[in-house]
Amino acid sequence: MIDQFLIGLGVVLQPNILMYAFIGVFIGQLIGVLPGIGAITAISLLLPVTFYLDATTSMIMLAGIYYGSQYGGSIASILLNLPGTPSSVVTCLEGYPLAQNHRAGLALFVAAFSSFVGGMVGVAILVLAAIPMTIIALRFGAPEYAMLVILGLLAASLIGTGSQIRSFAMVVLGIALGLVGADATTGYFRFVAMPELADGISLVSLAMGLFGVSEIIRNASYRSPPGPALSIKMRDVIPTRAEARSLGFPILRGSAIGSFFGALPGTGAAIASFMAYAMERRVSRTPNKFGTGHLPGLAAPESANNAAAQTGFIPTLTLGIPGDAVMALIIGALILNGIIPGPRLMVDQPDLFWGVIASFFVGNIILLMINIPLIRFWVLLLRIPYQKLYPVIIVMICVGVYSHRTSVTDVMLTLAFGVLGYLMKNYRFEPAPVLLGFVLGPLLEDNFRRTMLLYSGDFTIFLTRPISAVLVACSTLLILFAIWSSIAVRRKPDRSPT
Amino acid sequence: MQETDQDQPSIARRALSGGVLLAVGLVMLSIAWSYPVGKLTQMGPGFIPRVVAILICALALAIILIDIRAPSAEREGRMHWRGLIFVSAAVVIFGVLVDVVGLIPSMFLAVAVSMFADDHAKPLTVLIYASLATLGGWLLFLVALELPIPAFWR
Repeated sequence: MIDQFLIGLGVVLQPNILMYAFIGVFIGQLIGVLPGIGAITAISLLLPVTFYLDATTSMIMLAGIYYGSQYGGSIASILLNLPGTPSSVVTCLEGYPLAQNHRAGLALFVAAFSSFVGGMVGVAILVLAAIPMTIIALRFGAPEYAMLVILGLLAASLIGTGSQIRSFAMVVLGIALGLVGADATTGYFRFVAMPELADGISLVSLAMGLFGVSEIIRNASYRSPPGPALSIKMRDVIPTRAEARSLGFPILRGSAIGSFFGALPGTGAAIASFMAYAMERRVSRTPNKFGTGHLPGLAAPESANNAAAQTGFIPTLTLGIPGDAVMALIIGALILNGIIPGPRLMVDQPDLFWGVIASFFVGNIILLMINIPLIRFWVLLLRIPYQKLYPVIIVMICVGVYSHRTSVTDVMLTLAFGVLGYLMKNYRFEPAPVLLGFVLGPLLEDNFRRTMLLYSGDFTIFLTRPISAVLVACSTLLILFAIWSSIAVRRKPDRSPT
Repeated sequence: MQETDQDQPSIARRALSGGVLLAVGLVMLSIAWSYPVGKLTQMGPGFIPRVVAILICALALAIILIDIRAPSAEREGRMHWRGLIFVSAAVVIFGVLVDVVGLIPSMFLAVAVSMFADDHAKPLTVLIYASLATLGGWLLFLVALELPIPAFWR
């Protein structure tokens, strides 16, 4: 696998591809810093641009936005107590107190360094896991794929925050939206209310509406707090020898936890960072120091979310199954570029597969290099008020959607999904599972129909094929766990005195 | 049974979000009813839509039940009417005008209208900012990316 990795490195180090890798991680870091714009919004904004690039370059750029945003997210958390990304929420807990004690430089350095180590551990695990995972995945037939999609959809709705049944309903709604258009097997038109919908709902419209337009509607009148006044001297940045020594194990533990939760379909960087923080607090000999600017509590979640951002590509690249909404968008970009993600990807497109993986290695190095030296620039960005940003984002969404298929209908659909996403969130429905269901739904229908056709409607096939049986067992465990935890939650209020 | 919490939403309000979802499921089911279903071994295009629609209805009913029986109903978020109206107007204006008057005027109007979603917007600032943003948009979309959209109506 070293050989393949080196081939990939050769692909990335071509000047024009390297430039797009740099653009990707730079934009990622930028939107990570800016609160109110997430990786999903930025990637859906750039989806139309990828039609002018080849698949490898698009993948490298879009992926760079994703893991780059994990670096940037910590900057707003530390300086403003405002998480730039969902996965840097816990970074506020230790990072902001450090900044208030005039140690912002140190906090930024520790966050960047932990992110770098976490990211590199994640890349290493991705390289090690890629070939074995692909070998397993090449033995997948239609029943395995159907079960894997079901497992991923269940995990996305049952693990994480918010009501499980509401998330699951949104996954199913996403599947329903994915049904619109011509049926893949028979060509029969389903739910085609207007002729423009014959090709189905455009992923660009759905993603930009649900995540771009809806957030602008919500935040247009939001006043961001004044930007931080900051002067960082180089000697404040480097930790003391004792501080540096206290960081080794937290970073390693964080990387391990992050790698695990990242690779699991349905969970991602945000959950990984919460788990790492909780774990660090549990094993610490000084748990009372947490919340006051304790460096291990900053290092562990930062390494965890970056490790998770990298290992999240394991199911995406080897199985073609996205683990979260961002991965679903990246898969969507691949499909739009005419490439079918899945285990054949490594065999048929080795340059793309290993080039993308090697780009993570290069990207993390670039991110470390642009993070601390450009800190003044990032701080400057934090002073841009949201009121100056959102009109530009609206125009970029409009032009991006319109230019994709030169379709006014797509623009109007984007607005419809924007209003839908806004109302959904007001009524406690999360929009991310919709996108996952939308991308995975057609895959599920196709493989389920094929299974029923091949095995003459015999449902026991899911239990008699070994890999499929393991996936059924995992799904069952997940459902049992969800039921058990919801009962445990419901019991608690009963015990409290009334 | 005490009326202690008067600001608790009524049952109809509590069932609203699940009810809308149920309506979506029922509409979907009624449309999909006419699609050919086929057999389990040879599914027609209507099979999965019908299953999905029934699943949505079942989940919606469960959500309604949970919301009604919950001891303290969670309130829905505040409505951002200003944002909703002006952002929607900006996108609609862009969509309606871009085919008619070209990219530059529609970009200008979209930026200008959307800026009023912020309740502190002042006309002069809007005018200057929208002009600058349009100039930036022209440079990005037409000069740098060379998108095949006419700048002005011909």
